[in-house]
Amino acid sequence: MSESVSDAVLNILAKHTELDRDKVTPDTPLQLSGVDSLMMVEIIFDLEEHFDISIPDEMLGMQNQKLETAADVVLLVEELIQKQQTA
Amino acid sequence: MSRIVITGMGCISSLGHTCKDFSSKLMKGVSGIGPITLFDTTGFRVKVAAEVKDYDELRLFPEKQLSKLDRYAQFALIASREAVADAGLEFSGPLAERTAVVHGTGIGGQTTQELNYFKVYTQGMKRLHPFTVPKLIPSAGASWISMDLGITGPAFATTSACSSAGHAIGMSMLMLRSGIADVAVTGGSEALITYGTIKAWEGLRVMSNDTCRPFSLQRNGMVIGEGAGTIVLETLDHARARGAAIYGEVTGLGMSSDAHDMLQPLDKGAAAAMRAALNDAGLAPESIAYINAHGTGTPQNDPTETRAIRQVFGSHADKLAVSSTKSIHGHTLGAASALEAIATVLALNEQKAPPTANFQDPDPQCDLDYVPNTARPMPITHAMSNSFAFGGLNTVLVFSRYND
Repeated sequence: MSESVSDAVLNILAKHTELDRDKVTPDTPLQLSGVDSLMMVEIIFDLEEHFDISIPDEMLGMQNQKLETAADVVLLVEELIQKQQTA
Repeated sequence: MSRIVITGMGCISSLGHTCKDFSSKLMKGVSGIGPITLFDTTGFRVKVAAEVKDYDELRLFPEKQLSKLDRYAQFALIASREAVADAGLEFSGPLAERTAVVHGTGIGGQTTQELNYFKVYTQGMKRLHPFTVPKLIPSAGASWISMDLGITGPAFATTSACSSAGHAIGMSMLMLRSGIADVAVTGGSEALITYGTIKAWEGLRVMSNDTCRPFSLQRNGMVIGEGAGTIVLETLDHARARGAAIYGEVTGLGMSSDAHDMLQPLDKGAAAAMRAALNDAGLAPESIAYINAHGTGTPQNDPTETRAIRQVFGSHADKLAVSSTKSIHGHTLGAASALEAIATVLALNEQKAPPTANFQDPDPQCDLDYVPNTARPMPITHAMSNSFAFGGLNTVLVFSRYND
């Protein structure tokens, strides 16, 4: 995964979870870090604004098992950036 | 304490411009939800709403009035005129002074606000229409109702998001019980299917992009609706003295606040409001046959409301018919409790529980009888209507069949 995307995603996660930035790594589990569905709405907003991407509703919510760790979020953002560029 | 009865009803919604339209589509489960036509939804994830259809303000109001009459206030006026005509009331002399207007709205003149601010922020407009302020204030609906019908008693608006009309009806009940007024014209109105507002709702990630399926496994959010509902409340003595036809009695009012979160609902707060309403009505939980649920169709509300109902009703919960008519008329926010109060009174009158439309498979987290897709004839003596707003502001009303 590219360094800059990863850094920016982890910065945004650290801001919302109020964890020290150096404690947030790709392995950080979202739920255990206190990310609930409402916090996720704000995180997604920040990610969309920062990367100029559009994250679908399906990626959100309690039923969603696809976003478990910070690395999953980085991967999703990278995929969406790629999609944006090829579109 | 005075008993309070309902003697008139009026509404405008995605189901039509009258209460009769509302009633027939409600019981058939014909949903008013469809593609948004009020603005261009290119670039929107949310493309559906429950719009008032075939609506031409120029045919309904004099052009001169429209410079002071936002879409939301137009709806308030249309619903209130119908309700008052239905009640057979005319206001003059002492009755005008003894009548209250309490009409709720979540936001008020959103169309006016948005279009005008758009002009000054982005179109280089140097001035706005002189009546922009009176047109956008959230009390405009109450003012227009009082002016149009000649009602000179207490008049004001209530606002508590999705419970706004519930608080309006509640305040009216308290005024009638206390003897401040004999008659109340009350309900709520909302018209916020606008570019900016739907964009804002989209950001909340609670909106469905196809339809509203309350309590169903496939539910994926709420659908915004617009419209207004008005009921005429009278003390029983006043209604009897003039020989008014009576739709039913409003017997219980429960209010509570979650004191918890701006968005996440709390089962304890909802349960407290339902218990308070039963206490106020002096009814045991077993008396209730039908609940018109808040039932927004969001992942969060429906299981929370289900748990709250179980907490209050215990084993009787399994005997209740519980439906969310938001699947039919959409979530009309500040008008929701009014339209749903009307739906509940219709259920009492027709002895039929309106359905939860668009229901597919049951969700294990939502394990009550939601009257899926087809209205159900059944004996209903007492019924409850729930409203649980953003920010944890809850109102619950109990309606009962009228008996001398």
